[in-house]
Formats: sequence, structure tokens, C-alpha cells
Amino acid sequence: MKIHSQKAGIILIAPAVLLICALLVYPVLYGVWLSFFKKHSFFPDQRFVGLANYFYLLKDPEFWMSVWYGTVYSVSTICLQIIVGVIAALILNEAFRGRNFVRGVILFPYMIPTVVAIILWKWLLNDQFGLVNYLLMAIGVIREPLCWMGKDLIMTSLIIISVWEFFPFVVLSVLARLQSIPPALYEAAKVDGAGAASRFIHVTLPQLRNVLFVVILLRSIWMFTKFDTVWLLTQGGGAEKYVRTLPVYAYMRTFMYYQAGLGSTLAVIMFGILIASTAIYFKMFGREEEI
Amino acid sequence: MKNKFFSVRGQQIYWCAAILFVLTAFPFFWMISTSFKPLREIFVYPPYFLPKEFTLANFERLFEQTRFLTYFKNSVFVATSAVVLTMTIATAGAYSLTRFRFYGRERIASLILFTYMFAPIMIIIPFYVLIKKMGIANTHLALIMAYTAFCLPFSLWLLRAFFQGIPMALEEAALTDGAGRIRAVIYVTLPLALPGIIATGIFTFILAWNDYIFVRILITSDELKTLSVGIADLYNATVIDWGMIMSGGMLITIPVLVFFIFIQRYLIAGWGTGAVKG
Repeated sequence: MKIHSQKAGIILIAPAVLLICALLVYPVLYGVWLSFFKKHSFFPDQRFVGLANYFYLLKDPEFWMSVWYGTVYSVSTICLQIIVGVIAALILNEAFRGRNFVRGVILFPYMIPTVVAIILWKWLLNDQFGLVNYLLMAIGVIREPLCWMGKDLIMTSLIIISVWEFFPFVVLSVLARLQSIPPALYEAAKVDGAGAASRFIHVTLPQLRNVLFVVILLRSIWMFTKFDTVWLLTQGGGAEKYVRTLPVYAYMRTFMYYQAGLGSTLAVIMFGILIASTAIYFKMFGREEEI
Repeated sequence: MKNKFFSVRGQQIYWCAAILFVLTAFPFFWMISTSFKPLREIFVYPPYFLPKEFTLANFERLFEQTRFLTYFKNSVFVATSAVVLTMTIATAGAYSLTRFRFYGRERIASLILFTYMFAPIMIIIPFYVLIKKMGIANTHLALIMAYTAFCLPFSLWLLRAFFQGIPMALEEAALTDGAGRIRAVIYVTLPLALPGIIATGIFTFILAWNDYIFVRILITSDELKTLSVGIADLYNATVIDWGMIMSGGMLITIPVLVFFIFIQRYLIAGWGTGAVKG
């Protein structure tokens, strides 16, 4: 019975493991292999060049710019998402009429296709007919319409849109945790004379520590590798190179300059940066029980 | 309750919630409003919040001048196929991970968790080269494979949690009553796991429906494109028809939101086990 059951178990899990290995793990390894070749994206010919792709990138100013833009983009969107997300979760944790409705609507931006988020905001931020410029001018914040898709403001626009699109993930994770904090903790703090701010710092934040640890980790991985939001906002526009993050640069090298080898090298470097930062992150903030 | 509402703190909370609501919902309202406006109202300054003259002309142009319906059909086909394939494989796998003990089981679980962290951009370049080599570039099959691979890790993880919640004793009781293992699974375990399977399937559907990058790279023929790329390409036309784009955006959002409302109560459970990515 035992042996028989072991066999059945392996047969049932086999398709999943095979597919994951063939379509996720193998491509990553194949990407590492490709990074040692000079390879055209469409034609089969390839030539072994050793570490030449890596050395090329080290001297490539565009590569360093993409690392810089990628870092600016991910760090600022992550910080803002966490701040906005935690504040929103605290509000939605209070009792008010229509709370469930608002809780549902708040998740919409995260659920919709990225392309919809982008066209919505491109329309809102349109320099001639956009509503945002109109409202800002109507209340007197600005005199002239702002060019949101121009090179000076494109990063700001991208950050605003990304925070809007992805903060609901933080809200739901944090809200789920807030609901499980025992109210007795707050009552005890109240009895001890703690004010609202002090209760937040000494009761709420320590309770949120674990969930924030995981949320920051996941959001960092996904923001650092975010492609579609960035690309869709700027493709074809003149300001593209002012938000050319690492994923966008890897895409361009592969599918516009047809350098699949160099593109793979960029993907491998991205993977390396992620693994290294994750390791440091775990060392600095990780605790045994969280894994 | 009334007391609470009229207290200063109650009012503050109400205002905060209202601001939060407007910031999230207003862009959607603006999309809907724009898609029902005639052209001259779209470009009027100062803008009207609601259309003065309600029109369906934007939708008519969308259906007549673009391949919106083809894209829609493609999206439905690809996303549904990916859901069926993913759910079949993941349900079998999750059942195995929770009901059998075998060598390497824990290692498989950590492999699944590790691959859950993969982002499309990290594998898309080698994936594309491989798909090209296999000769299935520019087919829906390539897309279905990509989505299945991408959705398997979280589907397995989520379904594993659902199966863990179904007491093994129920299945054992059926077995002692003389049912075979397969009958026990079909009549006892699967019906209990069904809500979990449906919720996971919807997450997979939304992911496939929303995807842009795989379609952009794997599909080159216009008649095979799905909605995300189709709509994005409308935007790249020389003269941007905002009314038409907004109506298209509205139509591709509706299926997602309908499904979303459907699974809302599973969402918290799904979140905790990592069902949602992006």
C-alpha cells in the first residue's frame, strides 16, 4: 500500500514539476548560457564570446543609466506604496458606513489590465485636454499646463501611476493582518495612557512587522522587474529614455537591436541583483519564523 | 452607531475614506464618462464631468474600424485554455502534495515557492528563443504554455492550502465504506475543494487576460493578438481617438471586475498564500 501510494503521488505531481522545470527553470538556465554568446534574436547563428557581453555592459553608459533609473523607480514606488497602503488599510480598518463597498473598490486598480491603467492615466494627464492639468489650473496651483509625458515629468508621472496601480496589494495584505490584532492590546495601551500616535508606534507597527517584511520583499521583486507599466507609458514617446529601467533596456536590446545574447546578459544581471539584495534583506531584517 | 458617525473622529474617518475612494475610483468614472461622450465633448475645455449628449458612437467605431471582436475572442480562448490546463495539472499536483508522502516532496514545495518569484522579463528572452526553435512562435499554443507555466506555482501553492483544509478523515471514511480511491476523490474531496479550484482558476484567468508582455513578444500576426496588445496598438495610431480607446478599455475591464466581485471573499485567503502577483 505504501509503495503503491508513493508511486501514485509522484505520477500526480509529475506534470506540474515537469512543466515548471521545462518552462521556467530551464529558460532561466538557458538564459545564463545565452549570456556567453553573441546571438541574433531571430536567426539561429550564435558565437561563443565568453564574458564579453558582461564586460561590454560594464562600460556601457546606457546600462548604468538603466540601473539608476530602475533603482529610482523601484525605491520610490515601493516607499510610496507602503506608506499609502498602510494609511489606507488603517482607514479601512475603522468602522464606517459603506466600508465593505470602499474596500472592494480600492482593489480595482490592481485587478485591471495594466494597459487600461496606462490609457486611463495618459488621458487624465494629457497636456492639452487632460483633467489633471485643468483641475490644477482651476485651483491655481499652476498657470501653464504641465507636460506630464515630457522628459522632466515622465518619471514623476510613472511613479504616480505605478503607486496608484499597485498600492492595493499592500492594503489587502496589511488589512488582513490588522483585523487579527487582538483589541485587548489597544485597550491595555489606552489604560496606560498611550495616545493614538503612541498606540500606532508601540502596538500596531510591531504587529505589522512580519506582514510588512513579506510585502516589501514581494513588491521589491515585482517593481524591480516591472516591464509593462513602464514600457506602455513611454513606448514611441520621446521621453522613453528618461524612464528606461533595466527590464525595458533588456527588452530593447533583444527586440529592437536584436541582440539576444546581450539581452540575456541583462536579464541574468537583473536576476543576480535580485538574489543578492534578497539575501542582504533577509540578513538585515529576517527572522527564522518568517520563512 | 449614529453617535459614532457624528463624533469628530467619525467624521474625520469618513472624510479620509471619501478621499481614498475618490482617488481610486475617479479614473474609472472618467473612463466611463469619456467613452459615452461625442467627440466634440471629449475635447471641450473646460471639460464636462458627465456627457451632455449620451452617445454609443465610440463603441460603434471600436467594433467597425478595429479588430476588437477578434482580439476579444482570442483573449477568451487563450485565457480559458490556460485556466483549464493549469487547473487540471495544479489540482492533481496539490492533491499529491497534501495526500501522499514521497521522497523529495518538501523540495518540490520549495521549488514551487521559488519559481513563484519569477517575473516574466527574467525568462522572456530565453523563452522566446526556445519557442522559436520549437517552431511554435506566433501561435496561441505558445501563449497558453507561457501562462500555464507562469500560473502553476501560485495555483499549486493556493490549492495546496485549500486541500490542507479538507480533513483527510472524510476521504478515509469513504474508503472504509468500500469506495475506491478514485471514487473517494471524485465524490468526496473534489466537491469540497471546488470553491478553492474556482477561485484559483479565476486568478489564473485574470493573469492571462491582463498579460501584455508575452503577447507582445510571442505573437506577430494581427489576427492572433489578444486584447491588451490590441488596445495598446490602438493608442499608437497616428491620431489618437480617445473616445474609442476609453470604450475599449472599459470593455476589457468589465470581465475582470465581474470575476473579481465573484471571488472577493476568497481574496484574503488567496492573498495570504500568494495567489496574486504582478
